[in-house]
Amino acid sequence: MANGATAATALSFLARPIARIPEARRGQVGIALLTIAAVAFPIFIDSNDADVDSMANAAAYATLALGLNIVVGFAGLLDLGYAAFFAIGAYTYGILTAYQLQPPWSSFWDVFQFLGLATPVPADIGDGMVVHFTLSFWLALPLAAALAAGFGVLFGAPTLRLRGDYLAIVTLGFGEIVPIVVRNWSDLTNGAAGLNGVAAPKLFGWSFGVNSVPYYYVAIIMVAMLIFISIRLRDSRIGRAWMAIREDEIAAAAMGVDRTKFKLLAFAIGAAFAGMTGVFYVAKLQTATPEMFGFPVSVMILVMVVFGGIGSVWGVVLGAFILQLLQSWWLQDLTQWTHALGRVTGSTLLLKADFVQSIELIFGIILVVMMLFRRQGLIPATRPQAALSFEQQHAEIQRGGFTGLKLQGLGGAVRTGAVALEIKGVTVRFGGLTALNDVEITVPNGGVVAVIGPNGSGKSTLFNVITGLVDAEAGSIRFHGEEVIGLPPHEILMKGIARTFQNLRLFPNLTVMENALIGQHARLTTGVLRAILRPPRTRAEEVKAREWAMEVFAIFGNRLTPRVGQMVSGLSYANRRRIEIARALASRPRILLLDEPTAGMNPAETLELAEQIKSLNELGLTVLLIEHKLDVVTTLADMVYVLDHGDVIAKGTPSEVRRDEEVLRAYLGRNAQSAAAGMTDVA
Amino acid sequence: MTFADLLLQQTINGLSLGAMYSLLALGFTLVYGILELINFSHFNVFMIGSFVALWTLQMFGLSGQEIILAGLPLAGVLLVGFAVTMVFCGGLGVVIERVTLRPLRNVKGPAAMITSIGVSYILFNVVLLTVGADSKNFPNPLPAIRYHIGGATLDFRVILIWIIASLLMGGLYLFVQRSRLGKAMRATAQDPEAARMMGVDVDKVVIIAFFLGSALAGAGGMIFGLYYNFTSFIIGFTAGLRAFTAAVLGGIGNVPGAMVGGVLIGLIEAMGGQFIATAWTDVIIFSILVLVLVFKPTGLFGRLAPTRS
Repeated sequence: MANGATAATALSFLARPIARIPEARRGQVGIALLTIAAVAFPIFIDSNDADVDSMANAAAYATLALGLNIVVGFAGLLDLGYAAFFAIGAYTYGILTAYQLQPPWSSFWDVFQFLGLATPVPADIGDGMVVHFTLSFWLALPLAAALAAGFGVLFGAPTLRLRGDYLAIVTLGFGEIVPIVVRNWSDLTNGAAGLNGVAAPKLFGWSFGVNSVPYYYVAIIMVAMLIFISIRLRDSRIGRAWMAIREDEIAAAAMGVDRTKFKLLAFAIGAAFAGMTGVFYVAKLQTATPEMFGFPVSVMILVMVVFGGIGSVWGVVLGAFILQLLQSWWLQDLTQWTHALGRVTGSTLLLKADFVQSIELIFGIILVVMMLFRRQGLIPATRPQAALSFEQQHAEIQRGGFTGLKLQGLGGAVRTGAVALEIKGVTVRFGGLTALNDVEITVPNGGVVAVIGPNGSGKSTLFNVITGLVDAEAGSIRFHGEEVIGLPPHEILMKGIARTFQNLRLFPNLTVMENALIGQHARLTTGVLRAILRPPRTRAEEVKAREWAMEVFAIFGNRLTPRVGQMVSGLSYANRRRIEIARALASRPRILLLDEPTAGMNPAETLELAEQIKSLNELGLTVLLIEHKLDVVTTLADMVYVLDHGDVIAKGTPSEVRRDEEVLRAYLGRNAQSAAAGMTDVA
Repeated sequence: MTFADLLLQQTINGLSLGAMYSLLALGFTLVYGILELINFSHFNVFMIGSFVALWTLQMFGLSGQEIILAGLPLAGVLLVGFAVTMVFCGGLGVVIERVTLRPLRNVKGPAAMITSIGVSYILFNVVLLTVGADSKNFPNPLPAIRYHIGGATLDFRVILIWIIASLLMGGLYLFVQRSRLGKAMRATAQDPEAARMMGVDVDKVVIIAFFLGSALAGAGGMIFGLYYNFTSFIIGFTAGLRAFTAAVLGGIGNVPGAMVGGVLIGLIEAMGGQFIATAWTDVIIFSILVLVLVFKPTGLFGRLAPTRS
């Protein structure tokens, strides 16, 4: 307590100057101060090379943690063999600068000599000349990054289909295989003895040698660069796609995210960071052995990420520095102090204590304690959002304003008589169960078609097969004449079919705005390079995307607009239903598939939403609707299809269907006639 | 030795390794079947089992290879050895579940798996820091009886390992198939929610799965010691990964599948070591893991598909 109070008093003199910096500038000021401290560090420490060396190593681990954070933190893929990519980068540079691989010299190598990549040297055995590779450190950095990324794709491709926990064990397997291959492929890697004589980096002819200071600056520049790249990627279309996959893979696919592509991208970029760091690490140590890249290294990097905060860019950097310095500074100091205490007290137990060896035990404890008590890590990736003010929370509910919505993004021609969606002979089976049997449904362009039926009649399966989440055994689904069966979910969304889910599938730990932006994923074009460099075109695209999201939110009056910065998980059920519709609308669909949109809403909210759907339809949006509340169906639908046990048992206008014998039987059982009066309530 | 002799000899060796992997794989499969969690702490529960067995045998004054027992004393020592090891490891498994994994049971994402990695690391390093890095001789009180079949040798100890492993696995199978708790376990594995609503105490089922799985891992640890005549802090990792592969190969969540998977992995290891190279054993086994997951994700005997629906 006393310490805390003193610290608070000591720090309070800082409070006033900090308060004077405008909030928006505080981050920049912080980064500026950090940069100055990082640049000045070796100057203040001048004589103590070991400390600079420790910091350079810590920075190298920070780059590894940043790479793993992209895979684990952003995309949510647990990779337990991350050190394999570190090894691939390290050996790429090692093999191409050490005296290991020495093919006989021939004229073939002249061009490499001209490029400065190889020189002839006398052979150890015999009197011929052999090749000595002399790959430049600076060239090796991007080369190793690219090579490691290639291996990332190679390892990832067969395994990314697997559930997260299996991915973990398969990556662990790859993480084990790479060092085994390195150990056993002696011709290339010199086996367990390791590569020796790896060249130090040179800058304008000056070799870094074994002086820690230049390595330190290279490492710090790498950390800064990777922090920049990580943040730029996180706050872009790319980062949002990763987080969507992390939060809910199925919903991400249904919202137009190509899961395989973006998972591989995360793997490749994470691997590239590790490959680069590998080059740096062996260049600094000037040796490489298989043991430097085993499972313990992968776990250590994971501990850094978990400790700092999964998904938190600054967090993982802090985690890496703390744990690396704990190892190289503080545990050694602690050991020395304990030994000193042991000498004074004459205790052999204290004299023998060695805390440095217990580092892995500490890692294990950190993993368990962080997971049990502080899963968000030291610096959480997301900060709690400010709650709405009293006025905002109690503001009078305004109905949706459609005057402001520029609907040119929505829908096609209004009621041209053309067919939007044509479902023919679609059959879906799950094992022995026939979920859909030879279903035929036609949705006219600009129309509203409702599908009703008892629970388990196949309604949601129908939506799943239209949106590509479930495979059809037979049949065809044509959207404006184009077959969509067989297309992956994200391509179906791109064609203009967007949906909502019966049991809400929002991205709960993202904000309302982020959810709507992910809805626009397929309509935006920013790739990795543009996300990092953020040219004017990308900035403009982001601004427009946000504007469009706000226009869509405006449909729901002031229900969502004040809450755009809030986490979805904290909002009311009805609002989450609205967000899901907004997310689907944000993708600029031509047809909207609504799966029980009013479920869980009270009568007033139901009516409000029904009106909003009606208005959307009047503005040109085609709607296919699953609904249990028959009054909603009656108000909205031009045409109703009734499903029972996977069969279409009736179709017609709402009033026709209401009188249909078979429908009544399906809904109400044998005493259909007598119960018919209660139809509206039951349905 | 002729090729046929080599084949026979490696089959004998493979079946012995397989018995050990099967016992270990059962723990993965029981826990995964119910919680869909890859329990990494299982690796080192196995390793600790071999040390508990070592210390128990040492308490009988056994060390190294000098003292040979036979008849009733041998049966008694082995019985006590297995009983102490299995109860200790079973208890350790229950503590791990209760303290570190239950609070995370309903947390989405990899939190529970990361925790189990942490626990595994703690167990590993506690043994390393207290027992030391050098490997320890494991007592071998078994009489050196050898049978010769052609050019191949069948050790008495191998036969004993087969008998013990078969008894344990048979017992587990009967428990899971016949007993009331076993039925509750299978019900929970199918649908935890429905099982809970039908009055199954899911917490109890999870505890029992951890107890049985860890106890079998302990037995596997003792078998490791008896088979190789040494133990070390490092044995959990490799054996654990191979046993996990065995569980996946047999179809994770499938009890008989884990037994067969273990035997297959044991045979693959023995044959690979003989006819390819020991250095590549892990590469071969991992390649199998990846191939199974990619092409036949439900394993040979199927149950839970490790791909997303």
